[in-house]
Order: sequence, then structure tokens, then C-alpha cells
Amino acid sequence: MFPHDGQSRARGLALKQTAAIARATLVEAIQQPVAFLILLSAVMTTLLVPVFQFHRFGEDGRLARDSGLACMLVFGLVLAAGTAGRTVSGEITCGTAAAALGKPVRRVTFLLAKALGVLAVTMLFWLGVLCATLLAERGSAHFISHIEYTGYVMDVITLVLGVAGVAVALLVAAARHYYGRRRFGVSAFVGVVLSQVLVVLATGFYNRLGQLYPLLGEAACLDSGAGHAHAAGWVFYHPELNLRVIPVALLVLFALAIFAALATALATRLPTGPTLAICAGVLLLGLAGDSLLIGAPFWSVRGLVAGLLPDLQNFWLCDAVARGGRIAWRYVGAAALYALTCCVLFLGAGCLAFRERDLG
Amino acid sequence: MPASKSPVIETRGLRKVFRDFWRRPTVEAVKGLDLTINDGEVFGLLGPNGSGKSTTIKMLLGLLRPTAGTIRVLGSAPDDTHAKACIGYLPEVSHLHTFLTPRETLMYYASLFGLSRAQAVQRTRELLAMVDLEHAADRAVGGFSKGMARRVGLAQALVNAPRLLILDEPTSGLDPIGSREVKDLVCALAKGGVTVLMTSHLLADVEDVCDRVAILDRGVLCAEGKIADLLRQPDAVRFEVEGLDEPDAAAVRAELEARTGRRVRQEYPAMSLERYFLQVVARDGQQRTFAMAPFLGATLSAPETDPTPTSNSLPMT
Ligand SMILES: Nc1ncnc2c1ncn2[C@@H]1O[C@H](COP(=O)(O)OP(=O)(O)OP(=O)(O)O)[C@@H](O)[C@H]1O
Ligand SMILES: [Mg+2]
Repeated sequence: MFPHDGQSRARGLALKQTAAIARATLVEAIQQPVAFLILLSAVMTTLLVPVFQFHRFGEDGRLARDSGLACMLVFGLVLAAGTAGRTVSGEITCGTAAAALGKPVRRVTFLLAKALGVLAVTMLFWLGVLCATLLAERGSAHFISHIEYTGYVMDVITLVLGVAGVAVALLVAAARHYYGRRRFGVSAFVGVVLSQVLVVLATGFYNRLGQLYPLLGEAACLDSGAGHAHAAGWVFYHPELNLRVIPVALLVLFALAIFAALATALATRLPTGPTLAICAGVLLLGLAGDSLLIGAPFWSVRGLVAGLLPDLQNFWLCDAVARGGRIAWRYVGAAALYALTCCVLFLGAGCLAFRERDLG
Repeated sequence: MPASKSPVIETRGLRKVFRDFWRRPTVEAVKGLDLTINDGEVFGLLGPNGSGKSTTIKMLLGLLRPTAGTIRVLGSAPDDTHAKACIGYLPEVSHLHTFLTPRETLMYYASLFGLSRAQAVQRTRELLAMVDLEHAADRAVGGFSKGMARRVGLAQALVNAPRLLILDEPTSGLDPIGSREVKDLVCALAKGGVTVLMTSHLLADVEDVCDRVAILDRGVLCAEGKIADLLRQPDAVRFEVEGLDEPDAAAVRAELEARTGRRVRQEYPAMSLERYFLQVVARDGQQRTFAMAPFLGATLSAPETDPTPTSNSLPMT
């Protein structure tokens, strides 16, 4: 009944264990009220910024976009590092790690599965806030010249749909909890993310003036900014979202993954508090990496610190998409490789630290 | 009990020194333990609080790294996953994910053993019935009483139908029925060839089920052997007679005293509180049949296996 020898069977078992542990980690993390509050704060702040925006910062929608990305980074860091710290050190201190490792689970499998679970939480959060950012940028006031109207228009419908999506997700989660006894936190977390994705998809069915597609030619196209073009024929679906944000958001996700890996590794030996404190230190030093390195001799403490810590400036490039700018996908690929290297190094160190850790 | 006597657990010179954050030694919990547990045995590890029982068990499972000494469990090193696939472990405190329900908990552990979904669902159903938790199968274990959590812990220890079962204080927190059931379970598993290592502070429980015991004190093995050998009082004999009335009892006693020239103590043993409790709470006037029976393929009933004497007994010293 149980897998015995044979490498492929062992690999199959390890995969199964990884999936089970990662899934339990994901569920445990997102059913925590604090995780949901972090997501809710990030999404709502992002969606409400356009409403209270009094400055363009030289470009329509820029404030909404930048604050969305900032929420993604700041709230995301708290969520990723907090979840990793809590789930790993929490499981070690409360004994559930020992209970799992009393089964035929390798310590490496356990730790990597934990990291994957944390990454899954982070990605869900990231997806929700990315969608909210896209919605906020579309919803904020833009100057348009249209056959019917020329001037500033705020896409209130999109913003209302975004906020209503959150409200509906909460109601559905409450109903699932009441009638189906499903976990409220899990339904709410997943529901909020899903609602933002659905609203993003729905924005393709109407234009900034709230007119439903299909629309013909000039009547359809309200794209503001530099890249605005007129359609020749009927337009049936046109989301008018600034998809150039996606590569920037991906870079933020890489930074979050690095912190999730770092916190997972630290939590094998440290409680959650010190783990978060060290992560905060790495964040500050990592953001200052450039200035630390400038003028530092090759062999020096400054140089060493800058060399050892991940250079987070590489992952914060929201200025690069200002005024129609783009980030090359090659850069995103290189950043992904850099982030992967950091994650592998941190998790490798974590595995070494966890190998000899007493659990009991 | 199977005749083969190959060691299932073997430790030689096992030591464990706990250290603080600065790596300074804080306590030597186990001091040079040599232990051999054979196939099919029910072995009791006894000792006062802090004597190193749980530490020893955690070292056997690879959860704690020994400071010195060697360990072989099912012929392998303690953290060998092939060996662990055949071990069931109930920790001292049933460490459970509080947000999972018992059903989810058992499915989770089943997947750690690589059981297919269908197997896991079936095993979960059987185990929930076995530990009498079907009524609470879909409530989060965070809200469970201590004994209920213990039952979930016990069920998860059996999810892989283990060859070696390690139970750290299995009856702690259980009601008398639960304790009785655990003892019956251990006996039934042992009959099926499972080797059991258990610790308990309830010496009567250990006496009921264990073949051999070892007593640890401050990390040192103080005594080890078969219970019958350890407990036998070679200079005393005890008779038990049912339905002996008072004059006859007095006559027998006088006769014995005259013949041996020693004082004879006469007692009227009472029913054990455990047995009395089991009788009182027997539902519908029926003997409580152990719910584990279908799972184990054996029918066991609580009161019948109670070894406590209920007849008149006449212990003599
Ligand atoms: N993780 C740990 N760190 C430091 N010391 C520990 C740790 N675990 C156990 N000890 C110490 O090791 C000694 C043995 O503890 P252990 O838990 O093995 O005792 P025990 O025999 O199981 O006791 P009990 O009957 O109370 O469960 C104790 O002095 C305890 O304080
Ligand atoms: Mg103990």
C-alpha cells in the first residue's frame, strides 16, 4: 500500500507531501484574520486613491498606479515575511512540525513545501492588488478627447465595481460560512482576489464614459495618453488597462518571493519577531544597496554588505513605466533569475539550519 | 505474539544534552541509554516527570539529534523515510492544526504517507469511527476538548497501519472508556504483530498491556525486564476464593496461620473504580463494544478484558 523503493516512487511521494504541506500552509495563512486584513487594506487603499487624488504628478493615473504598486510592496512584504515567519516558527514551537516530520517526510521537503505555501499566499495577494492597481489607474481622472466629450473624466463605474466586488466577496464568504460552514477567512481572501480579477475582465465591456460595447470607430476609443489609436470598425471588447504595469508588478513579486524565502529560512531558527526585524533590516539595506556600494573599496564591510544583500532597487522600477515607458521583458527575465538565485541561496541556508534543528 | 525476536528498536550509549542559544549545555536528559525492543513486543517506558522518556522517543524518530550513541529503528537510522513509513507516532501532546477538522487532519496525514485519495478517504472513515469522533468529524479541532484532541492524535498515529507504534502517554486526557479502548487497541495491535512502545504515568495501564518495561530516572535506565519478573514477590502467595463465607474464611485463615506460623492477611477486594465506571456508563445496558473492532478485524469488549480481580481474594504474607 505504501511506496517503497524506487526513486520515481520516492519522488512521487515527496511531490504529494509537498502539495499537502503547501496546501495546509496556504489555508492556514489565508484563514488568519490578519492576512485578510492586509489584503483588504492593500486593495481598498489602491481602489480609493483615485477618489482622493488632487494631483496628476505629470501623468494621468500615475498616482493611482504608483500607490497601488507601493501597497503591493509594503503590504506584500508584511504578508510574505509575516506568514513565512509565523508558519515555520509557529509550527516548530507548537509541535505540528514534529508531528509531520514524525511521518516519512524529509526536512528539506517540509521546508520547501512551507516556502511554496507562503509563495502561493503571496501570489494570491499579488494578483488581487495587481488587478486593483489596474482598476485604480483606469478609474482615476484622465483627459480624453471623444466625439461626445472632451475633458477630464473619472471612470467611476470601474472604481465602484472594484469596491462592490470586495463587498460581494465578503457577503459570499459570510453566506458560505453561515450555510456551508466553510472557513470565512479562506472564502473572503480568495473571493476578494477573484472579484478583482473578474472586474478587470469586465472593464472590457464598457468605455470610460460608461457606454457599453460594441461601439463603432471613434465612438469606441477613449484611450488617453500617448499610445491612443482609433479603431477602424466595431469594437466589442476593449479593457483600456495599462498592461505595462504588469512587468513592474512582476518585479515586485520577485522581491516579495525573496523576502518570503528569507523569512522562511530565518524562521527555522528564530521566532517571528526577530525574523521580521531582520527582514526589515535587509529591506532597508537592500534599498540602500546602490548608495552603499558607491565608492566602497572592493574589500570592505560596505562592499560586502552590498554584495551579500539582495539589491532591491532592481525590483522597484515604477518610474520606468511613467509617461508611456516600458520595461523590457529581457530585464524581467534577468530579474527573475536574480530573484531565483537569492531564493535558492536563502532556502539552501534555511535547509542547512533546519537539518540539525531539535524539534521538541 | 510472534516468535521472531529481531530488535525493532535498538539504542546503544544514547545521550542527549540540551543546549541554550549560546550552545551552553543546560540539561543532560538521557545518559547512555541501551535499549532493545523486539518485534511484536509491547514495551513500556516509565519514569518520573523529566526523566527523559519523551526525549528518547523524539530521538528514535529523528526529531531530536542525539549528542552521542547510536539508534536503529526497524533496521535503519532514525530519519530514514522508508522506516518512518512503517511507524505510527502519537506525541505527548496531540499537536494538531487547530484550523483543520479531524477529517481534514487525517486526510492530511494520509497524504504525507502517500496514500491515494480513495485509500485516504476510506482510512479516514474507519479511523473516525474507531475513535468515536464521527459526530465531530467536520468541526475544527481547535475547539476540541483535550480527550477529543487525543483521539484525533491516536487516529493519525494509525493512519498508515504501522508496524511500530510509538505512543507517548496515550491515555492522558482520555476518559476511562477511552483509556480502556486504548489499552484494548494496544493489545489487539500486538496480537496482530505490531510492536508498541508506550510511555505512561498510569502504572496500572502499563501493567495491563505491556510485556516488558524499562524505568528511566533522570536519563538513566534503572530497571528493565518482563513485568511478571519485575513484580513477582517470591516470598508471598495469594489465594482467591469465590463465595467463601465468613466462618469458613476465618477457619482457613486460622488453619494457615497454625500451619505456617506466620500472620495471614485477609481482604475483601472491591471492584476497581474503572470497572465500576465502565458498568455505570455502559450504554443501553449493553457491554460497550470497542469501535476499533471492525478496523482491526477483532471483536473486543471492555469489561471482559479487565484483569482486575473481583472475587474474594486472600492475600497472604
Ligand atoms: N526542547 C528542550 N529543550 C531543553 N530541555 C528540554 C527540552 N525537552 C526536554 N528537555 C528537558 O529534558 C528533560 C527530560 O524531558 P522529557 O520531556 O524527556 O521528560 P519526560 O520523561 O517525558 O517527562 P514527562 O513525564 O513529564 O513527560 C527535562 O529536564 C526537560 O526539561
Ligand atoms: Mg514526556
